[in-house]
Amino acid sequence: MRALALIAALAATSEALVEAQPGAGIRGRLDIRRLIKPVERRPDVAAAGAPGVRDTTEYRRGVVYLETAPRAAFDEREPGRATMDQRNERFVPHLLAVMVGTFVDFPNSDLTYHNVFSLSRAKRFDLGRYAAGKSKGVRMDRPGVVRVFCDIHSHMNAFVLVFNHPFFDITDDDGRFELPSLPSGSYTLVGWYEGEARITRPVVVPPGGWAEIDLVVP
Amino acid sequence: MRSVAAALWIACVAAWPAAAQSLPEEPISIAGGHVIVGAEITATIAPDDPGFFNYTSYEFSALRNLRMGVSAELRANDHVQLLTEVRLDQGRVLEAYGLFVRVRPWPARRFDIQLGRIPPTFGAMTRTVYGSSNMLIGQPLAYQYLLSLRSDALPATNDDLLRMRGRGWLSNFPVGNTAAAPGLPIVNTSRWDTGVQAHGITGKFEWTGSVSAGSLSDPRFRDNNSRRHYAGRVVARPTPALAFGTSASRGAWLNRNIDDAIAGINSGDRSRQIAYGGDVEYSAGPVLIRGEAIRSTWTLPPIATLRLTEPLVATSVLVEGRYKIAPGLYVAARGDCVDFSRITGAQGPSTWEARTWRVESGVGYSVTRNIQVKGSWQRNDRNGGRIRRDSIFSGQVLYWF
Repeated sequence: MRALALIAALAATSEALVEAQPGAGIRGRLDIRRLIKPVERRPDVAAAGAPGVRDTTEYRRGVVYLETAPRAAFDEREPGRATMDQRNERFVPHLLAVMVGTFVDFPNSDLTYHNVFSLSRAKRFDLGRYAAGKSKGVRMDRPGVVRVFCDIHSHMNAFVLVFNHPFFDITDDDGRFELPSLPSGSYTLVGWYEGEARITRPVVVPPGGWAEIDLVVP
Repeated sequence: MRSVAAALWIACVAAWPAAAQSLPEEPISIAGGHVIVGAEITATIAPDDPGFFNYTSYEFSALRNLRMGVSAELRANDHVQLLTEVRLDQGRVLEAYGLFVRVRPWPARRFDIQLGRIPPTFGAMTRTVYGSSNMLIGQPLAYQYLLSLRSDALPATNDDLLRMRGRGWLSNFPVGNTAAAPGLPIVNTSRWDTGVQAHGITGKFEWTGSVSAGSLSDPRFRDNNSRRHYAGRVVARPTPALAFGTSASRGAWLNRNIDDAIAGINSGDRSRQIAYGGDVEYSAGPVLIRGEAIRSTWTLPPIATLRLTEPLVATSVLVEGRYKIAPGLYVAARGDCVDFSRITGAQGPSTWEARTWRVESGVGYSVTRNIQVKGSWQRNDRNGGRIRRDSIFSGQVLYWF
């Protein structure tokens, strides 16, 4: 149910038909108090040896987006291209936010095989096994959350959030975000982190100015 | 038993769409990542297997089982870990399948030493006992099919051995333990051996060596003959798409009670199981193909009436493949046979065990990443025993985290 609501939010539009204002929008910080670590490897008791050392730094980044976007945001745009690399048995970056139509490349930069796949409703795909130096990709043609995995390494996972409007931003490591070029008006801002929309806040963008807001996720 | 299994299976299938929302998807991390717990639950259902083609050394069919396995890794530090796996089969057979300490002397180097009840060293298909590592439902013959040989009993004559052709699920011999009991597979992955294992990866080569208590066919928690089992395996990966493996094993396979039964003969010196295996794996895109050949010999102690000039030989060959036809959906097939050397009985020469073939094909569908449903059809044939062929449809639901 939560996933359906999120997909609706990613695709929603408001009836407002107003001009975008350069130099105006929403900015602030998504403050995530309890950071999540990467998924642990399953205990492989049947293996004759331990796997290699991997980076287990906590995930610091989230996504901030408008629950409903002004209709002008849905004007047709050139489809973009994005990359999610596979390095040291991790997807890098762990989180992508793209617009509908974006082609996402999944190069393999490890020495072993990987097999990227997703069984998400927004995009169901399986790129098969491919080796180091090779890349395969997929076009994200529906809004929603695409959970990405590797069929060979069960601890590898990542998220691709697919929007049909441009008013979203991935936070930096300090949680800062910026949604520029927004028409003035009232919006609902959503803070998303590791699979869930964790906070929702109303925000008003003044004419010709920035709305500043900090979202705290306990 | 059948109705209970069927009810459980149906309940699992019916409940999972709803339950999947709240079931763990990832290993559970406790104590700041020092303890990691994972699990695999497999419900497998099939009609009767009157030819006992799929019976394991625990006296149940691999196609009719409810298995719950919990694995845990306790990370003391970068050098030392304790790993264990506890399994409950049939809702009643509970066993610490694996329990060992893993020592990594240099954390940055891929070299480990494992001590305790260790995973098998020999062969490429040892993981097929895990539902999630098995593209089908049945297991390869070499790893599961029970031969008539037993570690605690011996035939007194060639005809004693020939009488048991195709009856490995419950064989009996006149020397040693005369009660009927299951025989041994070529490679036993139903239980693990106890000993020490070293493993390393150097460039494109991966190697494993072990010294343990039992034998390839009869891994032991407690030693039963004061003889060591030596096993080794090397895998070369010239490219990520291709892997070549070779395995070898040598161990004493008879129990010391045979010593008592054969006065004056030290059976340990003569009762060796020696096995060699070669395997290859190729994968690319949606395709995965594996093949393996194993040759195992068993030397029997000299009993005057047992006229064997050569060791008993079993040769196994299998090929299996999987093709992903859509995201989450694949088809798979395996062809498998075990052949045996010939001995001479009162009726003339014959293979000492019944030659056996198995063909299995199936389909797997992932409901979610960690919930999978499989269906398969299996055909078994052998040239001996009371029931010489059967066809079995089976279904499996699998959940892991």
